[in-house]
Amino acid sequence: MSANRWGFEDLGLGVGLRTTHFAHILRERPQIGFFEILTENFLDTGGRPLFILDQVAERYPIVMHGVSLSIGSTDPLNRDYLKKVKALAERTRARWVSDHVCWTGVVGRNTHDLLPLPYTEQTLRHVVRRIKIAQDVLERPLVLENPSTYLEFVPSQMTEWEFIARMAEEADCGLLFDVNNVYVSAFNHGFDPKVYVDAIPGERVCHHHLAGHTHKGTHILDTHSDHVVDPVWELFGHTVRHVGLRSTLLEWDADIPPFEVVHAEVLNAKVWRDREVTRAA
Amino acid sequence: MRRDPNLRIESFPLDTVERWLQAVIVHPGDIGQALASEGAEGEIPSSRLAELVKPSHSLSPEERVEIYHEMYLLRMEEALASDYPALKHFLGEEAFLALVKDYVQRYPSRSYTLNRLGDHLPQFLSEETGRPHAAFLRDLAALELAVTQSFDEEESPLLSLDQVQAIPPEVWGTSRLRASASLRLLELKHPVLEHLDAYKRDLPSPHPRRKASYVVVWRRDYTVFRMELTRAEFTLLQSLAEGTPLGEGVAHATKALKSSEGQKRIFKWFRTWIGEGMFSGVGVSGK
Repeated sequence: MSANRWGFEDLGLGVGLRTTHFAHILRERPQIGFFEILTENFLDTGGRPLFILDQVAERYPIVMHGVSLSIGSTDPLNRDYLKKVKALAERTRARWVSDHVCWTGVVGRNTHDLLPLPYTEQTLRHVVRRIKIAQDVLERPLVLENPSTYLEFVPSQMTEWEFIARMAEEADCGLLFDVNNVYVSAFNHGFDPKVYVDAIPGERVCHHHLAGHTHKGTHILDTHSDHVVDPVWELFGHTVRHVGLRSTLLEWDADIPPFEVVHAEVLNAKVWRDREVTRAA
Repeated sequence: MRRDPNLRIESFPLDTVERWLQAVIVHPGDIGQALASEGAEGEIPSSRLAELVKPSHSLSPEERVEIYHEMYLLRMEEALASDYPALKHFLGEEAFLALVKDYVQRYPSRSYTLNRLGDHLPQFLSEETGRPHAAFLRDLAALELAVTQSFDEEESPLLSLDQVQAIPPEVWGTSRLRASASLRLLELKHPVLEHLDAYKRDLPSPHPRRKASYVVVWRRDYTVFRMELTRAEFTLLQSLAEGTPLGEGVAHATKALKSSEGQKRIFKWFRTWIGEGMFSGVGVSGK
């Protein structure tokens, strides 16, 4: 089983830190490898969420996951935002800071959606340049997640997996590999998800994401609102085989059930991780 | 004949593609209207959609863009419903969604956080004088915004009664209280606290009525509280929160009360406000 380029520790299994679970986590102190926070939920607040986060960070490893870096936007990078992200990472002793390969807005607006990019040489140069700037400000490697997408651009000159592999190498950044997102995009765009997985440089992957989705018949939406489906578990096994063991997180962000349900769901990943460890041995 | 891919790229620079897609996504009309809108057509003509977006096995280019277009408004609605639940409770699903649609056209998100999306909603409603119950909706929105702001404020230390009682009598009159950062004072034309309470208790919203209402919102131990005040209480609390010296504030309030029991009542208010954690400190003159 290979390690990642930066030696980021495999923290085991984790879940997202969500408001509805705060009381349970502080009271029950569940046995769990780590918590992932949604970065923007803890910026510009001095209230209860930050108070709870400080307590959670005392007891568990924290990783940060953002949605507003907008690394593919043609607007200037928001350096104030990056400085706040850096300060929060220092406060929580975050193991790493991640965001998405996407853009969220232009001309000063934020749509708060993870919007798709045309995978062209022009986009690649643009994104690589901005990742390097962000890494300079953050003074740590940036970890970027493959997005779920619902459309493809005709002018794209390469596949998403080619784009992401080249982006990671040329910008020297990390990857957060979301297995469900690959499954969702594979259905929406009609490609073989295993081809995607096999093309990803495993030594750059720092983290795995799993989630449930909503199948609309004509397309799949990445809703994080349900259990992980069997084909995604199987793809996760294939990913572990190709990439190796990485910190593995379950995302559940809509119709959030009690903590025990979310926790039990991520514990299912142990079966797949153990199977691949046994196979490798 | 296959077209040169580089020529196609030059036809659609990244910044043009992004401005186009955003213009389509945030347009308030349906997808056909969004694609044909001035903002979108100004970037990429709708006649060229097939040159830019691929069809899938089941969806046309237009239907694929529509997925993003539909999700935008739902995301905005979800964020504003989280900050303005009583407003949504009063208006109902459909009218609230219509309000959101209008609001985000004039005040779209320009922040990295959705927590700030609703900051202009009271202002928007005060500009919307033709909307039914506009003045009432503005007051209810102002109350809910105050709750959100109080929730997010930096934590303040608590001023204790002992600290206040320890102020030497000779400097008491010139001393000034420091309000908790979370303190918000609202002078309203409608008693909207009852609407927030109706929402909290899952009761039907009362019919809006016009009556002056004075409300204080503050946070203690990471919990946000709200309380109705009399006009006299409001005036004194506002004056103290703005830094008026204690002696001057109390003298004005006593005069306004026109009662022999005035000072006694005022000191009872003081005990309540300090005990509830509305103040964070005291600046003793000369120290």
